[in-house]
Amino acid sequence: MLIKRVAILLTLLSTGLQAEEAATITIRKGEATSVSLKTLGGADGAAATKVLENDLNLSGWFSITPPERATYSIAGTAAGGSLQGQVADQRGSMVLQKTYSGDPRTAAHRFADDIVETLTGHKGIASTKIAFVSTRTGRKEIYTADYDGANVKQITNDGSISVAPAISPNGSKLAYTGYQSGYADIYLVDLATGSRNRIIKFPGTNSGAAFSPDGGRIACSLSKDGNPELYVVGANGSGARRLTSTRGVESSPTWSPDGSQIIYSSDERGGPQLFKIGAGGGSGQLISTGYGYCTEPSWSPDGRRVAFTVRTGGFSIAVKDLQSGATSVLAAGEDPAWGASSRHLIFSTGSSIVLLDALNGRQVPIITGLGKVTEPTWSR
Amino acid sequence: METMKKLFTLGVVALLVLTLNSCKKKEGNQFAGMDGDYVSGTPLPDRIDGANFFSGNVTRGQFSPVQFGYDSTSVSDTELMKVEQVATAMKSMKNTVIIAGFTDERGTEEYNRGLGEKRAQAVRESLISMGVSGGRIQTVSFGKEMPADPGSGEAAWALNRRAEFGVVK
Repeated sequence: MLIKRVAILLTLLSTGLQAEEAATITIRKGEATSVSLKTLGGADGAAATKVLENDLNLSGWFSITPPERATYSIAGTAAGGSLQGQVADQRGSMVLQKTYSGDPRTAAHRFADDIVETLTGHKGIASTKIAFVSTRTGRKEIYTADYDGANVKQITNDGSISVAPAISPNGSKLAYTGYQSGYADIYLVDLATGSRNRIIKFPGTNSGAAFSPDGGRIACSLSKDGNPELYVVGANGSGARRLTSTRGVESSPTWSPDGSQIIYSSDERGGPQLFKIGAGGGSGQLISTGYGYCTEPSWSPDGRRVAFTVRTGGFSIAVKDLQSGATSVLAAGEDPAWGASSRHLIFSTGSSIVLLDALNGRQVPIITGLGKVTEPTWSR
Repeated sequence: METMKKLFTLGVVALLVLTLNSCKKKEGNQFAGMDGDYVSGTPLPDRIDGANFFSGNVTRGQFSPVQFGYDSTSVSDTELMKVEQVATAMKSMKNTVIIAGFTDERGTEEYNRGLGEKRAQAVRESLISMGVSGGRIQTVSFGKEMPADPGSGEAAWALNRRAEFGVVK
């Protein structure tokens, strides 16, 4: 323990962190629920089991053990576009029994999410999608993928600069900032049909779309009134309503779970800092973090924490607990986004998108080898 | 362990003091108004169909780019002389000017887009204060995209923190 603390301390000092307190990650091994996983039967059983096992691992809630030591045992069959899943307790009583249709990967993800929800009460992340920017083609274009990095799909083929993606709460739409007009405009893509509309195209720069939790509104930065300020606009681009009036630069809005408040970054007091404002207006209130450069906030779906980028020499991912007020630095990287679990974050290291378990500190690269990958966002 | 904690606290306090000292308030710009009662810049005019900073009907490089300090949107006195040249030229022509703001490669992506836009807007306000109509000045930000110098290091970064002028023909 001493060695570990000293190591963390040295790391903190060497990277020149300006933390208000030591960033320690508590690993609570005892909290994992032990489950056994029997290879699923049927033609697609092996493929589905592989996906399921990875999902259970990445969820962080479970340790996979032999059946005799497991609190719950997982079994099932997958064949012909259907997966039948079962979870039994130690006495053999079924706690979950459900049939999922769809390809083995999709069905396994949904089974995994049900296992997480049934056994832990928490929301799963296995069926979620991520979006990010990649320079793979030589231009910045928007891509989507499953949360585990599978099924990478190129969404834009603009050949200009396409950045700052956001996925709508129900996963059906994607908003992004595109430069096809020569100016920065906000576009809306229907992910099912691929149809695309330029929905926000005021004079100046329109960027940084963030969907409200009900999907009906978009918060973003617009400069039409002579300064980059925060606005809330209808999700179809109508009725822009201005929230801030500062001399500074407002950017990267993120919504509270109930849609009543917005946290954003503003440099009105010098270096960029986090502020909170009512979604209907009001005055921005500083959220102090102890860091001089704070950008790209993401409000956790449970409302309890905000993740953001801090400058610490390089850039790092920090999380502030909004109740206790404590801020800790979790990893080196930029632009964090919370997943539905409020436990996991994705962020960019530049060469990869990393999935971070904020509870146990585990980092898993999920997107690599696609050039420079930045600005990840995550459906919930 | 206690000693380590004390040492660490000391270190943190020292770092905090350093940070606070280096965290100077951004200098005031050309905008009127005091802290707290700042309302708005000058609204932008509608875009001109078929013209943007990189389109063929826009002349770039006719005027020197305005340079900025690190993470700053203030137009310094020396840079203001470049803006004056543009103001003088604009008074003797009718063309619209598009100001494009850029940042260096440091800083996060979306914040840099805002910072670039703010730089363009700061130059626009300077032009307005020199008597040019805001209705003839558009802005756009490219953030850290398209650096003037693709290298890294102080010299390249200084060149890349800029606002460029494009004259719509």
